[in-house]
Amino acid sequence: MIRGLLKGSIGPRSNDSRFLLDVHRRDLPGQDTMARYEDSDEVDLVIVGAGAGGSVLAQRLARRGWRIVIIEAGPFWHPDEDWVSDEAGSHPLYWTQERVIGGKDPIEMGKNNSGRGVGGSMVHYAGYCPRFHPSDFETQTRDGVGADWPISYSELKAHYEEVERELPVAGQDWPWGDPHRYPFSPHPISEAASTLWRGALELGIEMRVGPVGIVNGTFGNRPHCIYRGYCLQGCKVNAKASPYVTHLPDAIAHGVEIRADSMAVNVEIDESSGRATGVTYVREADGVPRRQRAKAVALACYSIETPRLLLNSTSKRFPNGLGNGEDQVGRYVMVQGAAQTAGRYPDELRMYKGPPPEVSSEQFYETDPRRGFARGFSIQTVSPLPIGWAEHVLADGHWGRAMREYMRDYNHWSTIGVLNELLPYPDNRVTLADDTDPYGMPVARFDYTHSANDKANMEYSTKVITDILKASGAQDILTIHRFAHLVGGARMGSAPENSVINADHRVWAVPNLYISDGSVCPTQGAANPALTIMALASRLAERLASGAAR
Amino acid sequence: MPDRDLTKPDHLPKLREGGEPRHPSWLPRQRRGTTPQMIGRYPDYDVLANSENWDEATRRVVEQRLQTSGALRFFSAEEEPTLRAFCDVTTAQDTDPRVPVAEMVDDKLASGRLDGFRYANMPRDPDTWRLVLRGLDETAHSRYRVESFAACDESSRDAIVAALSKGELSGGAWDELDVSRAWSVCMRAILAAFYAHPWAWNEIGYGGPAYPQGYMRLGPTSTLEPHERPGATAEDPVRVASELAP
Repeated sequence: MIRGLLKGSIGPRSNDSRFLLDVHRRDLPGQDTMARYEDSDEVDLVIVGAGAGGSVLAQRLARRGWRIVIIEAGPFWHPDEDWVSDEAGSHPLYWTQERVIGGKDPIEMGKNNSGRGVGGSMVHYAGYCPRFHPSDFETQTRDGVGADWPISYSELKAHYEEVERELPVAGQDWPWGDPHRYPFSPHPISEAASTLWRGALELGIEMRVGPVGIVNGTFGNRPHCIYRGYCLQGCKVNAKASPYVTHLPDAIAHGVEIRADSMAVNVEIDESSGRATGVTYVREADGVPRRQRAKAVALACYSIETPRLLLNSTSKRFPNGLGNGEDQVGRYVMVQGAAQTAGRYPDELRMYKGPPPEVSSEQFYETDPRRGFARGFSIQTVSPLPIGWAEHVLADGHWGRAMREYMRDYNHWSTIGVLNELLPYPDNRVTLADDTDPYGMPVARFDYTHSANDKANMEYSTKVITDILKASGAQDILTIHRFAHLVGGARMGSAPENSVINADHRVWAVPNLYISDGSVCPTQGAANPALTIMALASRLAERLASGAAR
Repeated sequence: MPDRDLTKPDHLPKLREGGEPRHPSWLPRQRRGTTPQMIGRYPDYDVLANSENWDEATRRVVEQRLQTSGALRFFSAEEEPTLRAFCDVTTAQDTDPRVPVAEMVDDKLASGRLDGFRYANMPRDPDTWRLVLRGLDETAHSRYRVESFAACDESSRDAIVAALSKGELSGGAWDELDVSRAWSVCMRAILAAFYAHPWAWNEIGYGGPAYPQGYMRLGPTSTLEPHERPGATAEDPVRVASELAP
């Protein structure tokens, strides 16, 4: 009740990031003055990856006095100079190093999944921050598909609430899943999104504004969003939430060192005890392998690079890599179906204005036996910029003169997409390819194949959004089938035979090695994963700090 | 009789008989700034006129695309004519001013910029490009008895690219590729180049970079910022009528 009355005025209790930022510069404060540790210092924790999972874990534990080093493959961003209001110019934000994709339905990577650099992929995510539903944690029990998590929604709920205060998340009161409110009011929305919403209402489909991790009002020294539409290119305003502005300022202020441009290549193991002793990494500048010693290690490199690092960390004791005694590492990697349809309208809507994420629905999220498949999907408005729009037009089969004609019509279009919960399968897997990267480390290979349930879900949901366009009066419709997000690959479970980590994120058979990213998820729901990755890291930190997970 | 009422969608290829787009001559010539081939769906709009309101980093990146570049670095002199012809056909650039797509693709490949994935049954992107250009020449030779794709007439080029877009080419270099995926590799680079260029933004009426300025007119009252201009429908009707008179 209080939260509803005081929208926009309640901040997080123990995270000062919003006050540490500078009003006039976008830099993450403290780079020059942050703690520096020697490789030979045995720090309390070395984390690999400065994204959603690693940053929250670091911020929480640094406040408990832990001495922490984060090893990050990408650069330490200086947004004023490094980030641009430009699609093509934002390529360095993505993980574009070579990866091999295979299987019957290979998943194209690059700009809509992994990030590279301090802040991780949340630097370029759209901003949607929905929670998972309680049902996501027990799909095997409820629906006979997927897997049950070893933890329940109720164990994450307080962490969802805390992270929502930290980002902060703006949106209407949320009627789906575990109904809840958001700390910030919903943003005004564009006419492009309103047009789609009217179509949904015609069909009896409920939609709500948000939930987005974008400041509506001011939040400490973070300003209001300016609706420039470049959320996916890195927010130069500091309005959109990413660990770069929400957790790393506080982490640095509490003694965390972020070692950027450093690629982790191996987790070191003591052969006699089986404990992790540190991480070997290579600095881009000199290519010399170094080893950071640590009492504990946490991997937060996302669903491709975490399995890759586990598999590459072989030793006499663990010849098949870490956590892989039962051949589980890299399995059950999931992506979400992310088809989009665009409709043409008489007036100029200019959908590039405002954040791409505006209005969404979780009405189709749960299993409905009448639909003929298990689990479901969510619906979200999006708004591609010109290069993204060109890919949409091409996917519908147009090139040359026809493409130019559709492109010239850009301002008359509005776009809506789905996120399908595609199910986890053991053979959708990350392995090591024969090719190697410049450091001699094998690159990842990701094989992926859809199931009949997946295809039925995608087909049904594409029809729903197409119907929304028709109901909204669209004069022409273009469709693109695509995929987004990554989770799984090092999932949590009840035993080494079905998972890589336990409910405390501890890798089976390595007592001081933890995983804190989206790869731990046994299922993915139909929700964008960022908020859940942060909430899981927040819970892990609480358990590590209390000793429960040690 | 040409129709400039853009509230109607009649000009869109899928709604036209045969699915063929209209020749762009139904649109006015660009009057302000530059568009590819000076096609003016937004004839009085120049995104670059607003560049003084962009942040410096963005302005640097965008304006660099207007600089003429030197000789190609990745593609050879032998490959160049086919590369240029292929980029022209896929982006319908038949006259100057052209967005320098070939140069932009060449720069990407020469600088080793990757997209982050490679299909297991495909070569690396740079090798895919060379194979596609070779395949285009081979198909031009076997189908039309000319020495290269570049030597084909317009309709032959269109037919070859149409077959490529449907994955319907085989033999020679094509057998070393998954043809549909090769098409997507090339088009990803071509589209990213063409629609990164401010001339293409002029053509589609895109508002462009908006930091620190931001966008304010989200609709429904208006979707036009002060620096933006509406589509050709809002032209002076008297002038449109006189231009359209026989």
